[in-house]
Amino acid sequence: MTIVAILAALIAGAWLLAAVESWVTHGRFSLTRPLIAALALAGRESIVPRKSDRLFFEAAPVLLLVAGLLAAAVIPLAPGLIIVDLATGALFVNAALAYVLVALIMAGWGPDGAYAMIGGWRFLGQFVGYSMLIVMPITAVAMRAESLSTLRIVASQAALWNIAYQPLGFVLFVAAALALSWLPPFDLPAAAGDLAGGVETEYTGVRLLILRLARMIIVLVLAAAVTIFYLGGWLGPWLPGWAWSGLKTVVVAVGMLTLGRRLPRIREARFLELCWKLGVPLALVNILFVGVIALVVPT
Amino acid sequence: MIADPGQILFLTFFGAAAVWFGVVVFRTRSMVRSAIALLFSQTAVGAMFLVMQAEFLGVLQIMMMASEMSIMAIFMVMFMMDPGGLGAMEMTHQKRLSLKAGGTGFVLALAVILLGGWGAAVQEVPEAAVQTAALGRELLGRSMFIFESAGLTILTAMIAATMVAIAPHGEDEA
Repeated sequence: MTIVAILAALIAGAWLLAAVESWVTHGRFSLTRPLIAALALAGRESIVPRKSDRLFFEAAPVLLLVAGLLAAAVIPLAPGLIIVDLATGALFVNAALAYVLVALIMAGWGPDGAYAMIGGWRFLGQFVGYSMLIVMPITAVAMRAESLSTLRIVASQAALWNIAYQPLGFVLFVAAALALSWLPPFDLPAAAGDLAGGVETEYTGVRLLILRLARMIIVLVLAAAVTIFYLGGWLGPWLPGWAWSGLKTVVVAVGMLTLGRRLPRIREARFLELCWKLGVPLALVNILFVGVIALVVPT
Repeated sequence: MIADPGQILFLTFFGAAAVWFGVVVFRTRSMVRSAIALLFSQTAVGAMFLVMQAEFLGVLQIMMMASEMSIMAIFMVMFMMDPGGLGAMEMTHQKRLSLKAGGTGFVLALAVILLGGWGAAVQEVPEAAVQTAALGRELLGRSMFIFESAGLTILTAMIAATMVAIAPHGEDEA
C-alpha cells in the first residue's frame, strides 16, 4: 500500500514538474502538455544508432530510472509513509544517486556519437565537483540527528529546521543537487545549443521518454531530500504530514527548476574550481560549526 | 547465526555475478566496458554485504564503487591517448606472469580462508544502527592509524595524478 502511494506521488510529482519545466522554458503553463509530449514520444520511432554499444544504450535509461526509484524508497512522506526505513537511509539516497553517473556515462558512451559522449564525460567531470558537496552536508545533518535514518533526521528538526541550524549546508546541498540533476546553470552535460542535447542526443521515442521521466523523478527525489534534510519534512501545523512533505517538495523542485535559469552556465573547469576551492572548505566549516554546537548546546 | 536458504541463494547469486563481471573485465576489448564491468562486480560484492546483513558496509561499497570505477574509467581514457575511449584494445597483458600472480594470489586467499582462525559465528546480528556506531568507534579507535595512513597515501596519489595530468607550461589556463 505504501509503495503504491509513494509511486503515485512520484508519478503525479513528475507530471507536475514536467509542466513547470515547460512553463519556465516556453512561458506557458499547461497540465496537458507533458501528457501530449509523453504520448508523442511513446508513439515515435525509437531509433538505434549504427555501431552503438547496444547493451549500454538500452540499459542506461532504465538504470537512470532505477536509481531515482531506489533513492525514493528511503524518502518518507510522513512517519508511516516510507517504503523502507533503512538505518543508513541518508547514505542510501547518495548511494542510489551515484548510479545517475553510471547511467549517464553509459548513455553518453553507448550510442557511439561525439555529442553524447562529450555530454557523458562532462557529467563525470561535474560529478568530481559536486559529489563531496552532497556527502559532506549530509554528514552534518546526520551529526545533529545522531542517526542516518531519514525518519530520525526529520524528527531531529522538531525544534528548529536545519535550514536555520546549518544554512551553509543547505546552500551547498541545493547547489550540488542542481549539479546532480544537471539543471541550469550546471546543465553542460545536456547543454542545449552547445551539444544538441548531450547525453540525450541519440535517444528518441520510448527510450527518450524513459530518460526524461527518470530525470524528472531524480529532480523530485532531490527536492524531497532537501525537504527532509533541511526543511523539516512532514513537520508543520494544520495540514496532515504527507501534505506538508508534498507541498515543501514541490516548492523546492519549482525553485530548482526556475532559479538556475537566471544564471549564466558555468564552465566545467570553473565549476570544479568553485567546488573544491570554495565548496569543500565551506562544507568543512559547516561540519565544524554543527559539531561545536552539538557539543556546547545541551539537547 | 544460522543462514536461511533464501540468504544462501542470494549470496550465491551475487557471488556468481561478482565473479562473472570480473571475468567480463578481461574478456571485453573496450576500456569503458571493462571499467563498468569492474564496477558492477564490486556492486555485486556490495549486494553480498547487504545479504549478510552488514547494511552500512553494503551501502558504502555500492556507493563508493559507482564513483571510483567511473573516475578510474576517465583516467584510463585520459592516459590512453584515445579520446572518448572508443578504440578497441586487448585487456590482458604479460599473460604468463599474470597467470602465475593470479594463481598464487588465489591459493594464498584460499589458505587464509581455510587456515585462518575465524572464531565462532555470531549468534545474533546486531541492529544496523548499532553496527554503524561500532564501525565508527573501530575507525576512530584501534584502526585509526591504518586508515589515516591509507588516506594519506591516497591523497598523495591524487596530488601526483593531478600533477601528471595538468599542462606543464600553464598555457591551458582554466
